[in-house]
Amino acid sequence: MPRVEVPVALPAPSSPPVAAPSSAAGPSAPATPARPARAGAAPAAPATPAAPKAETRAPPAEPALAAPPLDLKGLELRLKETSAIGVFTKLALKNQVDDLLAQFRAFHRGQSKPSLVELRRPYDMLLLKVLALLQDSAPPLARAIASSRESIWGILSNPARFASI
Amino acid sequence: MNNRFKWLTALLLALACAASPAAADAALLKDLSSVIALLGLPCVKVVKAVALKDGDHLATCQDGNRYRVFVNTAGRVVAQKQP
Repeated sequence: MPRVEVPVALPAPSSPPVAAPSSAAGPSAPATPARPARAGAAPAAPATPAAPKAETRAPPAEPALAAPPLDLKGLELRLKETSAIGVFTKLALKNQVDDLLAQFRAFHRGQSKPSLVELRRPYDMLLLKVLALLQDSAPPLARAIASSRESIWGILSNPARFASI
Repeated sequence: MNNRFKWLTALLLALACAASPAAADAALLKDLSSVIALLGLPCVKVVKAVALKDGDHLATCQDGNRYRVFVNTAGRVVAQKQP
């Protein structure tokens, strides 16, 4: 029985194009060209699991694209409403956000020394603290904040958009 | 039926009353742990909290550090290290 399958697999080595569609279908392109000689016996086997993998990876990408980035008001509201962090923590976070906003306000008025590049560090640090607080207890909110990182920075760093806060 | 219902209600209330302080305590300990960490102070985990006043707690950390956590007159959360 296995000897019957070997001749059937013989046409496979002469078919590097067979490996090409399988590599095109799956992201594991570098792994497939390494096995063309032996993989001849099992072209059907990898083809079957490749299709479900592509299907399972597609759905998580859709919600990520669908979630709109948070603005500062939205972030404030979501943090106020969440039960993932306690009252003391919320108040301490608000203090730190207010401190950072005061630094940006001073920067936009030309009153403070730290440049925009230097303000990025405390901004990133504060965002990391928020993410650390939320990532276990409120993963969706943590993801929303993480994906809104550049959008919020865009508001803070732009004088016109910052003035509208 | 009425008596059974009353007993069941009383039992559920008793269970809820017994469970909620523990849950509240756990939430407070977690909150104090988070706020101390957020303020950048060393504390592995708050294991005990004593309320001194409303919004004013003495937190004892697992590593032995003790902090008075309160809201000052400016509305800022402060963690003051205790000897």
